[in-house]
Amino acid sequence: MVPVYELREVTKRYGDVVAVDDLDLTIDRGEFTAIVGPSGSGKTTLLQLLGALDRPTSGEVLFEGDDLSGLREAELTRIRSSAIGFVFQQFNLIPTITAAENIALALAPRGLPRDERRTRVEELLASVGLEQRGHHVPSKLSGGEQQRVAIARALANDPRVLLADEPTGNLDSRNGEEIVGLLQELAEDRGQTIVLITHDPSVAQRAFRVVRMQDGAIVEDRIAVNRVASLAT
Amino acid sequence: MVYLSYMFSELRRRRGRTALTALGLAVGIALVIAVSSLTAGLNNAQASVLKPLTGVGTDMSVTRPIQVSSSSKSFQNLTPAERTQLRKEAGPGQVGFGNLKAGAKFTRTSFQSTELTFASSKIAAVSKQNDVANAVGGLTLNLTSVSGTVPKQTSTSTSTRGAPSAGGGFNGPRSIDFTSVSVSGVDPSSTTLGAITSDELTAGTWFTSTTKRQAILNVSYATQKNKQVGDTIKLDGKTYTVVGIVKSPVGGSSSNVYVDLAQLQKLAGDTGQINTLYVRATSAAAVSTVSKEITKTISGASVTTAQSLASEMTGTLSTAKSLTSKLGFVLEIVALLSSIMVASLLTLTSVSKRFRELGTLKALGWPQRAIVRQIAGESLFQGLLGGIAGVVLGLGAAALITAFGPTLKATFDPATQSTGGPVGAFPGARQAVSSAVSTTVKLAAHVSPTLIAAAVALAVVAGLASGAVGALRAARLRPADALRHID
Repeated sequence: MVPVYELREVTKRYGDVVAVDDLDLTIDRGEFTAIVGPSGSGKTTLLQLLGALDRPTSGEVLFEGDDLSGLREAELTRIRSSAIGFVFQQFNLIPTITAAENIALALAPRGLPRDERRTRVEELLASVGLEQRGHHVPSKLSGGEQQRVAIARALANDPRVLLADEPTGNLDSRNGEEIVGLLQELAEDRGQTIVLITHDPSVAQRAFRVVRMQDGAIVEDRIAVNRVASLAT
Repeated sequence: MVYLSYMFSELRRRRGRTALTALGLAVGIALVIAVSSLTAGLNNAQASVLKPLTGVGTDMSVTRPIQVSSSSKSFQNLTPAERTQLRKEAGPGQVGFGNLKAGAKFTRTSFQSTELTFASSKIAAVSKQNDVANAVGGLTLNLTSVSGTVPKQTSTSTSTRGAPSAGGGFNGPRSIDFTSVSVSGVDPSSTTLGAITSDELTAGTWFTSTTKRQAILNVSYATQKNKQVGDTIKLDGKTYTVVGIVKSPVGGSSSNVYVDLAQLQKLAGDTGQINTLYVRATSAAAVSTVSKEITKTISGASVTTAQSLASEMTGTLSTAKSLTSKLGFVLEIVALLSSIMVASLLTLTSVSKRFRELGTLKALGWPQRAIVRQIAGESLFQGLLGGIAGVVLGLGAAALITAFGPTLKATFDPATQSTGGPVGAFPGARQAVSSAVSTTVKLAAHVSPTLIAAAVALAVVAGLASGAVGALRAARLRPADALRHID
């Protein structure tokens, strides 16, 4: 089976700064991967390359077998819209519109009929446990609720991979725990492929696989402790 | 609907900026409306001054001025017959005191034309020309009448005889009345073209009969002589009933009295002769060619058109007109460009502030065109808002102009014209009215629906232009930047 991602000798430079340095990485379908590492180690750059938001300076980023570095902007846009979901550290919800409308915005490019879209938005809200909160604007929701809306938005187009950039970074531990629990659930129950960046070791522990980066390179790649334990039983 | 709901909520959130952008556009649009309405108002004012003379810009009058200014040579251009005619028309008054005894009563009347007459057959000739809608003849004469009793000492009267003052009395012995009245013969069948038109009537009616002696008086003459509709006046001993009063336009036919053309011709012994031809072209565009043709048909003809009249106009009206025509357009362009600039700058900063939001949308898979459409849509709406506000402001400005509208003066000064110049088309005017003819017009700014539509369209275009600037900026955003976070 073709892996979701296959990165070969990927390098990304910003001027003189080498953000990602000759990196190889394969991520299979259904994997829940946490990328950890100090600031400036290249985590975010790697996530942007995975998310078809940026092209590598050299090397290949194969997404389901297609080399993203060779695609035009419009094709990258199509892949982002149909195959990849994003969750951001600061939620990046649009503050002026309701939670439901935020989710609908992600569906908008698909041009679904109105009823179908409404049903889909309700399903998504329910999947993150926010059936009753759809009509609120983000500022009326707690941080954890906002991030759940963001996850629902990321899942709107049934992405093959969910990319999360410090999803718990702006949350207190209880809300952070909720979000990680939700992501874990998605991975375990639905087999959702997830790649997340985190600073928090307790978050990283919940993933199936932990990739540690330093100076743009992978210095450690292991199966998570709890995963080892659960696999052992 | 999602796009629209997003757009309006976005505009609502930034309502201060939205209002500011719209206001920037509104000020520009309001200026355009104000200046355009002022220009339109001035055009209307000029048209209202000139309209009676020029119809809708298609009318002209034709005369054969005597070129006194270019020495006696010009007389040599005339045929012997014409010279005889001229002598007859413009010769010395036939008062003939010589035959009278002291104490005897007398009345002498003479008719003088300062223009050469021409045969009324020319009316038909000109009518047949291309692009001529209508042609009507007219005859304007100065009727000088001396009446009274021969004084005992005739030496006084003879010595002052040659110096009549226009329209006024006579400085000589009280027993002699010297009157000068300008009379125009009008074709009674032509109510819309001629020395006067029926809509210039302020009282009474148009000529109702060609056989009865009827006269229409100029309002100023009627006031001076204290005559009203129903009163009678005497011309060369004949009694005319006043049927109407007209207010004649500036620079135009300021004859004192208007009578039936045929009657005047008969009275003055000028049967079949006219000295003014009023011509209406089928369109304003045809005026110059018609005018040229006429000079071929009638030798020595001088054609007065709306344009030549407008150029004769002086006073605050023409000053304001030339000012707006020179500055108005520039002002409008500057106003529009600066409001587009302000709107663009505001759009640009708002796009920069929404860096992350727009980047997020890109990350979510919004195609470029959807983002451009979103920004453009917002700008379009701001433009529309600005256009509506601008129209309101502009209407307010126009209303202010009208409310405080200055009274403009339009002057036609015969003194500034060469003898036989365009206003010479109305020879009576020069005789009966001693100096410059002025009229005042109250300036009223004019806002037409077309102007409003154009203004709103301009605002929308201006909004779109600013949106294009913003959208271009948004399109260049790298979605990756949206993910950059501070850690």
